Amino acid sequence: MALRRLSISLLIAGAVLAQEATRSVWDGVYTEEQAGRGRALYNQHCASCHADTLMGGEMSPPLVGGEFMSNWNGLTLGDLFERIRTTMPQNNAGKLSRETNADITAYILSVNKFPSGKTELPHSAEFLRDIRIDSEKKQR
Amino acid sequence: MFRLTMLALTALTVSAQTRAYKDGEWPSYAADLAGTRYRPLDQINASNFSKLEVAWTFKTDSIGNRKEFKLEGTPLMVNGVVYTTAGSRRAAIALDAATGELLWVHGEHEGDRGAAAPRQLSGRGLAYWTDGKQERILYVTPGYRLICLDAKTGQAIPSFGKNGVVDLKLDDDQTILPDLTTGEIGLQSAPVVAKDTVIIGAAFREGMTPKSMRNNKGYVRGFDVKTGKRLWIFHTIPLKNEVGYNTWEKGSAEYTGNTGVWSQITVDEQLGLVYLPVESPTGDYYGGHRPGYNLFGESLVCVDLKTGQRKWHYQLVHHPLWDMDISSAPILADINVNGRAIKAVAQPTKQGFLYVFDRVTGKPVWDMEERSVEKGTVPDEWYSPTQPFPTKPPAYARNGVSKDDLIDFTPAMRDQALTIISKYHIGPVFTPPVESQLGGPLATLTLGTASGGTNWPGASYDPETHIVYAYACNACLTPIGLMRSPKTLSDMEYVAGTAGQEVRNRTGPGENAGADSPLPTRAPAPSPGRGGRGGAAPAAGGGGAGGLSVNGLPLIKPPYGTISAISLDKGEIVWQVAHGDTPDNIRAALKTAGVDAPRTGQLGYNVGTLITKTLVIAGEGQVTTTTDHPRGAMLRAYDKATGKDAGAVYMPAPETGSPMTYMMNGKQYIIIAVSGGNYSGEYIAFTLPAAEEHGPTAAQH
Repeated sequence: MALRRLSISLLIAGAVLAQEATRSVWDGVYTEEQAGRGRALYNQHCASCHADTLMGGEMSPPLVGGEFMSNWNGLTLGDLFERIRTTMPQNNAGKLSRETNADITAYILSVNKFPSGKTELPHSAEFLRDIRIDSEKKQR
Repeated sequence: MFRLTMLALTALTVSAQTRAYKDGEWPSYAADLAGTRYRPLDQINASNFSKLEVAWTFKTDSIGNRKEFKLEGTPLMVNGVVYTTAGSRRAAIALDAATGELLWVHGEHEGDRGAAAPRQLSGRGLAYWTDGKQERILYVTPGYRLICLDAKTGQAIPSFGKNGVVDLKLDDDQTILPDLTTGEIGLQSAPVVAKDTVIIGAAFREGMTPKSMRNNKGYVRGFDVKTGKRLWIFHTIPLKNEVGYNTWEKGSAEYTGNTGVWSQITVDEQLGLVYLPVESPTGDYYGGHRPGYNLFGESLVCVDLKTGQRKWHYQLVHHPLWDMDISSAPILADINVNGRAIKAVAQPTKQGFLYVFDRVTGKPVWDMEERSVEKGTVPDEWYSPTQPFPTKPPAYARNGVSKDDLIDFTPAMRDQALTIISKYHIGPVFTPPVESQLGGPLATLTLGTASGGTNWPGASYDPETHIVYAYACNACLTPIGLMRSPKTLSDMEYVAGTAGQEVRNRTGPGENAGADSPLPTRAPAPSPGRGGRGGAAPAAGGGGAGGLSVNGLPLIKPPYGTISAISLDKGEIVWQVAHGDTPDNIRAALKTAGVDAPRTGQLGYNVGTLITKTLVIAGEGQVTTTTDHPRGAMLRAYDKATGKDAGAVYMPAPETGSPMTYMMNGKQYIIIAVSGGNYSGEYIAFTLPAAEEHGPTAAQH
């Protein structure tokens, strides 16, 4: 009972945290150039599991489309960046620099058709937590 | 050797003492050796399922040197203790069944051998054995060593193998190449123990792009649970003097490998028979180096529990080319067909056929028809002119692609889908792979292959009503295209690939991801890609990002994932429901299109079912955010008789292992493994709130 209450309050805390993000992936949070760099890096480090198309392999999850968006909708780019940074690429987790991970994240955003902008994605999870992943553009 | 084995067997027969497990326990991976995933418990039922609360959770982050996001275990529960595997270390752990308190943990550091293992991470579970006095836990490490532990303490049993360990890379009727450390062979499923015999299969890397047409072979062995001594072996690729050898033309049985049993093994202890679901031979999609039918690839094989001698076999797919494997536990079912009692075995599959045989004779319960199938055109491939089709029950999931299967939320979406598939070869089940061409076809578009239908979590079976309950992915598309392999990649003529894209080694999750793999380095690696050294561009208009989706929506229409109830007495589907909430983006697209559609279910191959006295229970495989619940996934219950919703409870992440249930101190619990996205592996135990546990009487106080 106590545990349940705990997990609910954690959830609420999580939701509050996400709400504090002031921008979303719809706000042009990466540049075309960064995504271009990210594409080359993606092909080098990620494509053998997730495929050139980002559609995933027989057993690897897609990084594009509805399933991917369902998994990350409502979280922040900081969450996605940290998952990539700490566990990918699988055969040598953590070997990629923050810059590389940010470029790859930018490429993933571009393939998912989120708009590019004038400033590059930052390289730290703290700043990336300010950017919310919304599968649908929210009207403000 | 022979005499020794016979002596051991005699001893085994005398000492075999089967403990009667209680209904409230879950003593083996699939609940019992029959593979039912069934317990006749009913404290949790349709009237209270939605009131379930978290009793305890166990986060697996610290069981290994990194978090795991692919927790697939199904725990056991015996005598008030929950046993399971966990973490990137794949340690065996024991937990208090009422509180989740960690009682012991046993992990093996395997160094380079663990790092080279084809199937890393936490695995799917372990096995329990007792003779009424001693209790033992057995599991297989990523590095393919069988570990035997004292269930009370987690300490290795010194009299088993060498100090509690049997090196499974040895005494395997083959030399594991290139060496014991890096030789490719492993296992992620749970061992099975029947009478006093531990039965162990084998698994390999994903087979889309094998490094070579030559590989180690996945034989199956039985070991004495008391000593670790090998009792028997079954050659899944026959030796020269054995039945089936001549189904490998041009001597290809000599060098072809894989053909293991990586999924769960089922045993009928009374009949003394073991049922082996055998996987594909080397090369999931190209068999030009293994001409012939390739027995016992993708065959259900019945062997003797005491000797490993083959009793019967049935090849479900001749000359496998679709990665259908046999991917889950065969199910033992005592059924009644037209007044005739049959001891049957039912085999759910990726291709959505439920194959049903007399488990004594191997004869199909309903006619199996050898029907002509399309002959492919890939150079030097060998094609079987026919494949077996069960006449009953009907396929419970899509296993071919036709225009009728395409998304039709709006006419425009359907038109887009038609344009996309015009670049692919499509057809019914067993439509062969193609050589990928830039001008088309890019691939054969398939359903019911690599990740379709029922995968490793398997199905459930109710021994009272003779109904199988099977989850299936009904829309998991796999494009199967072949490209000539660069010699640097493989000595095979063809491997999986897409025209216009670099042909690369395709790996699967779990490879290089376990605790023995290289640790994160602090120094960032140089980024040679920076400055524009790009990879090959995706093929124009077809293989491009999202190429198999329409505006980010699945190319195939709902239902995406289903649960089917299939009567084995009648060979008919009793009911079928979409499993899982409509995903967020699909809900939004439907709203925009003004289409009012029922629940669509979700894509995903790793959903398993549990059945109790009245319920079918399965978690969702995807995260959604709806007006009913915050971001998360639901553990759902259905009325077993009708398929109607019978409640749902919130989980913070999708189900990634099959649920199990047990009774402890008068309370029923359900444990489920969840993980994925940003949520690392966790076992969650649910139970009813205190006021519910004594039923209506208690509620009056």
